[in-house]
Amino acid sequence: MGQLLTANVATNLYWLGRYIERIEATLLQIVTAYDCIIDVDKQAGVKLYKSIGVDLEYKNAQEFLSQSILGDHAANLNVLMGYARENTIISRNYIDQEAFGEIIALHALFQGISKSHMSIDYNFIDNAQSLICEIWGQISKRELRKNSDYFLRLGKLVEEADFHFRFDKDKELAMIIVDEIHAIIDILSTDAQSQSQSQKQSENTENIMDSIHKKIEGIIVI
Amino acid sequence: MLEKESELHKKFWEIFSKQDRQKIDEFQTYMDKFAVNFNLYKDGNFIERSLPFDVIPRIISTQEFSKIEKGLQQRVTALNLFLEDLYTDAKIVKDGVIPEEFIHQAKGYLKEFVGFSPSKKVRTHINGIDLVKDSVNDEWVILEDNLRVPSGSSYPLSIRDTYRKIYPDFFESLKIAPIKEYPSYIEQAMNYVNCGGINVVLTPGRFNAAYYEHSYLAEKVGAQLVRAHELVVVDKKLYFKNYNGKLVRVGAVYRRLDDDFIDPAFFNPESLIGVPGLVEAYLAGNVALMNAIGNGVADDKGIYYFVPKMIKYYLNEEPILKNAPTYLPYFDEDREYIFNNIEKLVIKDVAEAGGYGVLFGHTMTALQLEDLKAIIKANPRRFIAQELIEFYDEQCYLNKELHNRKADFRAYVVVGEDVKVWQCGLTRYALEAGNYLVNSSQGGGFKDTWVMEL
Repeated sequence: MGQLLTANVATNLYWLGRYIERIEATLLQIVTAYDCIIDVDKQAGVKLYKSIGVDLEYKNAQEFLSQSILGDHAANLNVLMGYARENTIISRNYIDQEAFGEIIALHALFQGISKSHMSIDYNFIDNAQSLICEIWGQISKRELRKNSDYFLRLGKLVEEADFHFRFDKDKELAMIIVDEIHAIIDILSTDAQSQSQSQKQSENTENIMDSIHKKIEGIIVI
Repeated sequence: MLEKESELHKKFWEIFSKQDRQKIDEFQTYMDKFAVNFNLYKDGNFIERSLPFDVIPRIISTQEFSKIEKGLQQRVTALNLFLEDLYTDAKIVKDGVIPEEFIHQAKGYLKEFVGFSPSKKVRTHINGIDLVKDSVNDEWVILEDNLRVPSGSSYPLSIRDTYRKIYPDFFESLKIAPIKEYPSYIEQAMNYVNCGGINVVLTPGRFNAAYYEHSYLAEKVGAQLVRAHELVVVDKKLYFKNYNGKLVRVGAVYRRLDDDFIDPAFFNPESLIGVPGLVEAYLAGNVALMNAIGNGVADDKGIYYFVPKMIKYYLNEEPILKNAPTYLPYFDEDREYIFNNIEKLVIKDVAEAGGYGVLFGHTMTALQLEDLKAIIKANPRRFIAQELIEFYDEQCYLNKELHNRKADFRAYVVVGEDVKVWQCGLTRYALEAGNYLVNSSQGGGFKDTWVMEL
């Protein structure tokens, strides 16, 4: 018998992977846009957030950081971090202890800045990125992977693939990620009826992601 | 009042004086980082907070602890025998040792379970026994037996690990009893009573005050942490629902919720945190529950009065550890004593726990005392009265200074194939000077407990 997990824990691990990856990827995008806003394209942040359906307003690069990270919109990273913390608390027995601690520390970092009068600066983003690197490092150090590790990784990869498709990044790399997602789905659904095959490059990206989401829904029986 | 300083204390202070005090802050950093929490509900809001911790441990000599250990083994053995007897033959009642009406009026007594004997006849698997060290007689006395869902063991377990990392000198230089084996006591007890299947820890969920502990112990014990809807009863057997929908048989449940909530089909139908059909599976002998259903009668504050009599009745031994002097208004003679001395007694409502329902006569006005007497007279079974025990203070390092605070000690006793007393426990101290209430739910803090030898 493989590692036992409740559907609740499996779901929380999956979403933990997604939220942390989403926060990391967003921070990377923010850093790039921030750099552009300074002296290349003042609208870089507006365009970035438009692509995810958020109308962002700011006067300068500094304000862009605050608005993008803590603004009143669906991509507020402090809110996402709150969700990630909840996922972590619920699934803590299946997460590396150090990684758990780093996630709590990352949440505290976001909470601290959201309550502080100080404005967000590059140092904050740097600290957050360092903690995220630590988290992924701690999580991936285990050589023998269990179902819990796969659920977390699955979430990370789904988010990664979604980002690649959404921002028209390297499609070849995106398809490699999709293949890995299918491999994990196969592992997690050895006893289920799920049949996963590599998707063709020509397939519509929305269809690819829809198909992945359906398969994941099929793995976790609530 | 502090206990007389022993050679063990001197050794501790000698090392403590050489330590970097700045490092004390690292304990809080650790507790925050790893969310070592005991949560509170205040004004309807859920507040996540770490349990206040003090770095100065309570020190108990191995010799002194040995007596506590024997006393607790004796007491818990008698309590287990009492429960087994009460729910089967009830000889202790028939023999007049405990009045029948006293049992029947106990809130935790569940007559529906009479005639049922749980797996291996173990009922008190995990016990938290509260003691204080009386400064007048310089001896340990028992204040309370917690035989339902005692909490708190995870906090000293968690902090000891940190202590060893921050201040290794103490553990290198002093002979301090190791404590890591406690979860294995629980695991062994679970395996002993297991009726076939995996072990699980049943939690009310994420927003329970002691969720951290549920999660911590489940991991250390090697059991699945589950909420009610992750379990299902089929044909009087309990199953764990795996993420893929497969059902896996459960043989033992370390439940962290009270009887009233454990099965909405049997107890409170409003309970959303219980497993429908669990009691049926339990009564069919298909699953062990830790602790057994119906234990509440034995940790009823009124029944506490009779524990020394139980020890004599079942074991034919004198109690090694004494109760605090206790009076039952139910008995005429005791009631008269209580009414004549109420201003110096502590009055406890037997239905309350966690430091609630405790009244100190010396803090009440004459009018309040008269009102209290009237309430006691109207419902004598509801109260007990105890002499106020002047228990020793413990030194606490609060706000970078040493302060004296009242402190009790919760010892943990695990019953499986044998009765094991953990060589540690939860020392709880009151946050304010002079306060006798040390409960975590009353804002009290905790410190580590070192069983040491020279």
